Amino acid sequence: MTTASPSVFLLMVNGQVESAQFPEYDDLYCKYCFVYGQDWAPTAGLEEGISQITSKSQDVRQALVWNFPIDVTFKSTNPYGWPQIVLSVYGPDVFGNDVVRGYGAVHVPFSPGRHKRTIPMFVPESTSKLQKFTSWFMGRRPEYTDPKVVAQGEGREGAVFSIHGLTPPRPLASVRIKET
Amino acid sequence: MVSEKSHLGNQQEPVQEEPKTYLLSMTARRGPRSLPPIPSTSRTGFAEFSMRGRMREKLQAARSKAESALLQEMPTPRPRRLRSPSKKELETEFGTEPGKKVESTQQEIDSQSHSRVKFRDSARKIKPKPQVPPGFPSAEEAYNFFTFNFDPEPEDSEKKTKASHREGTNQEEEEGEEEEPPAQGGGKETDEEELLNGDDAEDFLLGLDHMVDDFIAVRPADYESIHDRLQMEREMLFIPSRQAVPTYKKLPENVQPRFLEDEGLYTGVRPEVSRTNQNIMENRLLVQDPERRWFGDDGRILALPNPIKPFPSRPPVETQELSIKGELETMYKKAVKYVHSSQHMIRSGDPPGNFQLDIDISGLLFTHHPCFSREHVLAAKLAQLYDQYLARHQRNKAKFLTDKLQALRNAVQTGLDSEKPHQSPDTIQKTINDYKSEIRQTRKLRDAEQEKDRTLLKTIIKVWKEMKSLREFQRFTNTPLKLVLRKEKVDQKADEEAYEAEIQVEISELLEEHTEEYAQKMEEYRTSLQQWKAWRKAQKAKKKKRKQAAEEHPYDETEEPYPEEDLVKPIPPEPTDRAVIEQEVRERATQSRRRPGEPMLVPELSLAGSITPNNQCPRAEVLRREDVKKRSLYLKVLFNNKEVSRTVTRPLGADFRVHFGQIFNLQIVNWPESLALQVYETIGHSGPTLLAEVFLPIPETTVFTGRAPIEEMEFSSNQHVTLDHEGVGSGVPFSFEADGSNQLILMTSGKVSHSVAWAIGENGIPLIPPLSQQNIGFRSALKRADAISSIGTSGLTDMKKLAKWAAESKLDPNDPNNAPLMQLISVATSGESYVPDFFRLEQLQQEFNFVSDQELNRSKRFRLLLLRSQEVPEFRNYKQIPVYDREIMEKVFQDYEKRLRDRNVIETKEHIDTHRAIVAKYLQQVRESVINRFLIAKQYFLLADMIVEEEVPNISILGLSLFKLAEQKRPLRPRRKGRKKVTAQNLSDGDIKLLVNIVRAYDIPVRKPAVSKFQQPSRSSRMFSEKHAASPSTHSPNHNADYPLGQVLVRPFVEVSFQRTVCHTTTAEGPNPSWNEELELPFRAPNGDYSTASLQSVKDVVFINIFDEVLHDVLEDDRERGSGIHTRIERHWLGCVKIPFSTIYFQARIDGTFKIDIPPVLLGYSKERNMILERGFDSVRNLSEGSYITLFITIEPQLVPGESVQEKFESQEDEKLLQASEKFQAECAFKFPNRQCLTTVIDINGKTVFITRYLKPLNPPEELLSVYPNNLQATAELVARYVSLIPFLPDTVSFAGICDLWSTSDQFLDLLAGDEEEHAVLLCNYFLSLGKKAWLVMGNAIPEGPTAYVLTWEQGHYLIWNPCSGHFYGQFDTFCPLKNVGCLIGPDNIWFNIQRYDSPLRINFDVTKPKLWKSFFSRSLPYPGLSSVQPEELIYQRSDKAAAAELQDRLEKILKEKIMDWRPRHLTRWNRYCTSTLRHFLPLLEKSQGDDVEDDHRAELLKQLGDYRFSGFPLHMPYSEVKPLIDAVYSTGVHNIDVPNVEFALAVYIHPYPKNVLSVWIYVASLIRNR
Repeated sequence: MTTASPSVFLLMVNGQVESAQFPEYDDLYCKYCFVYGQDWAPTAGLEEGISQITSKSQDVRQALVWNFPIDVTFKSTNPYGWPQIVLSVYGPDVFGNDVVRGYGAVHVPFSPGRHKRTIPMFVPESTSKLQKFTSWFMGRRPEYTDPKVVAQGEGREGAVFSIHGLTPPRPLASVRIKET
Repeated sequence: MVSEKSHLGNQQEPVQEEPKTYLLSMTARRGPRSLPPIPSTSRTGFAEFSMRGRMREKLQAARSKAESALLQEMPTPRPRRLRSPSKKELETEFGTEPGKKVESTQQEIDSQSHSRVKFRDSARKIKPKPQVPPGFPSAEEAYNFFTFNFDPEPEDSEKKTKASHREGTNQEEEEGEEEEPPAQGGGKETDEEELLNGDDAEDFLLGLDHMVDDFIAVRPADYESIHDRLQMEREMLFIPSRQAVPTYKKLPENVQPRFLEDEGLYTGVRPEVSRTNQNIMENRLLVQDPERRWFGDDGRILALPNPIKPFPSRPPVETQELSIKGELETMYKKAVKYVHSSQHMIRSGDPPGNFQLDIDISGLLFTHHPCFSREHVLAAKLAQLYDQYLARHQRNKAKFLTDKLQALRNAVQTGLDSEKPHQSPDTIQKTINDYKSEIRQTRKLRDAEQEKDRTLLKTIIKVWKEMKSLREFQRFTNTPLKLVLRKEKVDQKADEEAYEAEIQVEISELLEEHTEEYAQKMEEYRTSLQQWKAWRKAQKAKKKKRKQAAEEHPYDETEEPYPEEDLVKPIPPEPTDRAVIEQEVRERATQSRRRPGEPMLVPELSLAGSITPNNQCPRAEVLRREDVKKRSLYLKVLFNNKEVSRTVTRPLGADFRVHFGQIFNLQIVNWPESLALQVYETIGHSGPTLLAEVFLPIPETTVFTGRAPIEEMEFSSNQHVTLDHEGVGSGVPFSFEADGSNQLILMTSGKVSHSVAWAIGENGIPLIPPLSQQNIGFRSALKRADAISSIGTSGLTDMKKLAKWAAESKLDPNDPNNAPLMQLISVATSGESYVPDFFRLEQLQQEFNFVSDQELNRSKRFRLLLLRSQEVPEFRNYKQIPVYDREIMEKVFQDYEKRLRDRNVIETKEHIDTHRAIVAKYLQQVRESVINRFLIAKQYFLLADMIVEEEVPNISILGLSLFKLAEQKRPLRPRRKGRKKVTAQNLSDGDIKLLVNIVRAYDIPVRKPAVSKFQQPSRSSRMFSEKHAASPSTHSPNHNADYPLGQVLVRPFVEVSFQRTVCHTTTAEGPNPSWNEELELPFRAPNGDYSTASLQSVKDVVFINIFDEVLHDVLEDDRERGSGIHTRIERHWLGCVKIPFSTIYFQARIDGTFKIDIPPVLLGYSKERNMILERGFDSVRNLSEGSYITLFITIEPQLVPGESVQEKFESQEDEKLLQASEKFQAECAFKFPNRQCLTTVIDINGKTVFITRYLKPLNPPEELLSVYPNNLQATAELVARYVSLIPFLPDTVSFAGICDLWSTSDQFLDLLAGDEEEHAVLLCNYFLSLGKKAWLVMGNAIPEGPTAYVLTWEQGHYLIWNPCSGHFYGQFDTFCPLKNVGCLIGPDNIWFNIQRYDSPLRINFDVTKPKLWKSFFSRSLPYPGLSSVQPEELIYQRSDKAAAAELQDRLEKILKEKIMDWRPRHLTRWNRYCTSTLRHFLPLLEKSQGDDVEDDHRAELLKQLGDYRFSGFPLHMPYSEVKPLIDAVYSTGVHNIDVPNVEFALAVYIHPYPKNVLSVWIYVASLIRNR
């Protein structure tokens, strides 16, 4: 299709998921993945990762510190579809079930250098009070079929239009990513 | 230690009792003495500078010193007790003297409290003393501090009293000095102060308090006299005066005020502010802002023009509820069928564009009507006058002219006054003269206007008076008109003054004029006199010379001076004629103007009057009113002199108004030539009479609906009407006077209010015929100047004229309102062609375009990106579009461009047959348009797509889960659990597998023992071993003998191929094998796109082929038999089952027994019919003969099939019918949710159509009918075969799962492709035309799923026809693929199955029984007689035999090439002789439809190919494309034989049926020569 070495540019992402503020929850772990456009392809590093479980720090900050490294390299021919980091945070609920505590996404910074990003996290709400109760009781909260949808516009737009009772995502807490 | 201490404390308590009280009293006394804080703070606190503060500081320092000394001292008792006093001495910071003192006092205390200390000592001795840093009390010290009891000292108390006494004296300086020693002394006083630590803070505060009141100075209250205060206020406050500010103050020094308005500049009207307020503001500004920035050149405050419009621009909204309701009433209209039903249809031509003219006729008003009473005549007159008055008032020309006059006079004044140096006196004079002439003109105009106003007012009043008198006279009123004259008081004096001033000014001006005139005349006179004199002289000289002509000359001379004499004469009286002029002026003023002091009269016409009710009127009037009531009117709209529509007939109102309020949309094709309205009147029941015709102007191209103003068009008629009642008639004289004088003749006349405008289409494009259609030359030229003509002058004709008019009318060029006009004029006069008067909406767009359009088009990369974002199928999933153009290969676009090119070009390469190529193209286009229509709907995500959420548990689920708790952990009869469904979003290659479970097969054809000629010696040796068996007989008796019992009849195995992946089972034995094997085939979606839409359009087919494995001994030498086995495995194709992937996808699983598609002739094999005797269904055996295979197919994981979009489609159907069908479906679905119930379907245009409209008897091709003229059953079979030969193409494939579209039978035959419904509809229609009772059966079948079959009633039994295969089954055939029946559809009704069972075996098809079948049309809803959507009859073209033959040859060639391609490693030889034999044989097969030819054929083959081992079979297929044929040949695996000397034979036969339906036969065979 193309010549022997088609020209591409590379985007190297080094960083870490530093810490999170989830005032209500403890013992969380996070999962990151990348969403990128058609002209992008990962060349090195890990596209996805799941961190360790962390507990709240005992000081005033009450931060959940992961310091979970991210290191990935993309190649691309087009800035369109610039990669986004999608983070989803999970943790046990009262009954010990693993439930989702937050979704969030942010673009990989466009300029080189160290950047610090704070991502607001949200979770989808149950469609009704009854469902909210049952989902709490059964420990099966509503989740996205694929966390990547938070980085894509189309699906959510459709959802908002077609679904009654999907409240706007509730910002819960923030996760901090530091990139170098 | 703690317990010890408490113990200690307890012991001491009784002793302490008394001293404690003493101590308390001590504290009270000691209070005033402030207590130092802890040492550390005391040393840093010297920051205060006031004397007092410093003193206090000192005091504190002293105390704290003492304190710290004490603290240091504290441990001293202990060391002393430990006998180390010297050490302690060193630690203290005090001098030796105080230290000694301390020691001494300490000893005293010690002696006094000896006993207790001693006790404590003993305790202390036990504990080791912890190291304490200096300055800090150790634990022990602290303990002592709190618990040590001090004995009172008499000396101490004395000191205290002394100290308190001293402090009370308030002597500051000395006190401080003197205080120090005692304080130190206090410091030495053991631990007393320590004890009181808590109380000391309080004491400190008290001490402070004490000192504060010493520094308050008391003074008398300030008082300012009222005078001073006023003085001060005067300084501070400013009250602007209300006096007018003289102009010179407001202007810079030595500057004359300049009046812009007088200089001819536009200033606009200033907003009204009362004079006093203005003065106040001006005064204020003058004081605040000495630079006079706020004042303009004219000395007034700068102000913007008044922004308030004189009249409201918003349309008045009537507040009455009734009228609002009337206006907001919604009208429902049934949609009109659009003419072009399918723009893609090959036949339909492009219609000419439609244009639309909207004519809004709002009403009619008579200004005269025969039925007018006299009062009405007057009222009409009055109303007309009043309208005139209002119009004049609105314009207020007189006022305007007065103002102008004033301005001009001012200008003249200033022009005279100001000596402008830069202007030559000439120009000044010139302008002044100009002004003056203008003044003259303006004055004249003004006078005329004022006079007109006045006369108008007078007439109004006169008419009103007449009307009043008439009303009085006739003693009733007919009209609600009422005129009120409002008097506006005027200030008599000011008015008089103004009046007088005006007259004076006028007089002086006139005087001036006259003097000017006089001067001019004088001048003239003088010159002429001069001339005359000169002439006279000359004359005289002449006279002298010529005396003969003297006779004539004197006459001339007398003539000549006469005018000069005349001129001279008027000179003297003119200048002095002031009185005359004044007289004149005053006369005129009284005539035309309001007298001074006379109140201004403002007439107001209202409809407030009441009309006398009928019963109070005289008879004649009542008759008139009755007559009016009888009359009604309507208008006809004539377009190009043809009536196109007419309004409703409306009665004439008592006020002679008719309200229509109708809008007519004229759909026109050409530019209109004329538009007219005809007014018709009907009286009672008589016919209408034409009253008048009104011609409407054709609107400008810029007048669009919504913007067109309502205009009034007057009309009148010359009709003569005389009436026998109060009505005055029309065209006949009548009079208001009693004596009949002053006669009037009035004609019927009135006004039509209407508006005509061009409509605007859906997309905002005005529906105006193109300019080229306007055949009138000059008009079209004008129309083209669109932008300019839109400026607002709709009567625009000539630019020059307009400019002239503008110049004449002296438009103020600076008024912003006139700006566009002025611009237009300047453009027109300057000769510039065109200056656009528009603004660009995105004027910055150019800046934001990062690349020019040309470049965008040229760049391959951008093109690729664009195409990808448009989701063009070729590029939809294109990954990594290269950065540079040079890296993009040209060939990327080749396919796409080719497709674009070919869209309209019909190419026959792939399709061979032109008609099918056209159809394929058409299908492609329909598909594209349908996809476009549903593009939005497809991007419709459901909550379930996005979010995984538990369902709300309802009571049954809760109950079930409760039961589950009690359930056994390992039930004896486990139930199947539903698999989890997977949405197709996050799948990738290799995730999806196709599972095929092959269970068993029945009645596989068995090998026929070869006839002796065929048999090889080696093989026969085994076969002959057991000859005499009770073998079942076949048709040919000679086989009987050969048939061995123990011989393996057949060794079948099944091969499943899907997407070129092939799996096969193990080999089983016998004609009824059981494999029970599961095969797993991977599934790969096209382009790796696993979206629902993509999966739905997968066209791949699962081929399940059954082969017979034949072992051939290839050992050539019998002698080696003992030592080795040399066999060749050959596989013989027996038949196949084809299941499209889409069926599996939609069904999720396919489970059942399918009939194996076995070629009609299978050489070497035969069906063992007698073997199946045990089946027992003798009656149906013949119908269901064939081989069957039991399969179970599913997809792992289970995919969620795409929901078809449930949208409401537009419909031509009656609303009631649609509602009824919805209700019917809902009821059915409620009772039997699983049964299919169809009432409405979507036709190919995307419209909902009632289903019975599809069923109608349609003629089958004549050709088929003539084959078996007497045998109805055979004809029916033939027809079914014909229908089945039309290729099958599921809608889901062609329309990507969007919806199920039903095409009519003619469309179906044109397309030559369709799915079950179309086949079934066509077959059912044929059957109906054959005179059978036939219904469409909607139900479920295997493998198709929901499908349509045809049910016919034959004598005594029902037959179920599969329209796609042409097979038919009896109702009780177990192998009928139709498994359940939902509803039956006839041409005039729908019956829903409400029986308990839905299997065709168990239900009764008698639709007349309402208990078994619920009918749609019943007595409550009778069949409305719906017209069919099908054509009247089907027209069949005879098929082109030549084309078929050509196609046949090409196919044969292609297939042969393919077979050679498939055998790349071997030589492929073709046996021509065999091929020709086969070719002869195929037409026979077609004729007999594959029945009962086998034996003849075999015999013939044997005869001709005696020494060949032959294996082959004919394949029969409907023809759609080449590819399925190739696939079919490939799947048989004929080419797989790799025997070296194999030869092949291939023959193709195409039998054309009418309408290009082709039946294809392919005979493939392999031959091995026997040696």
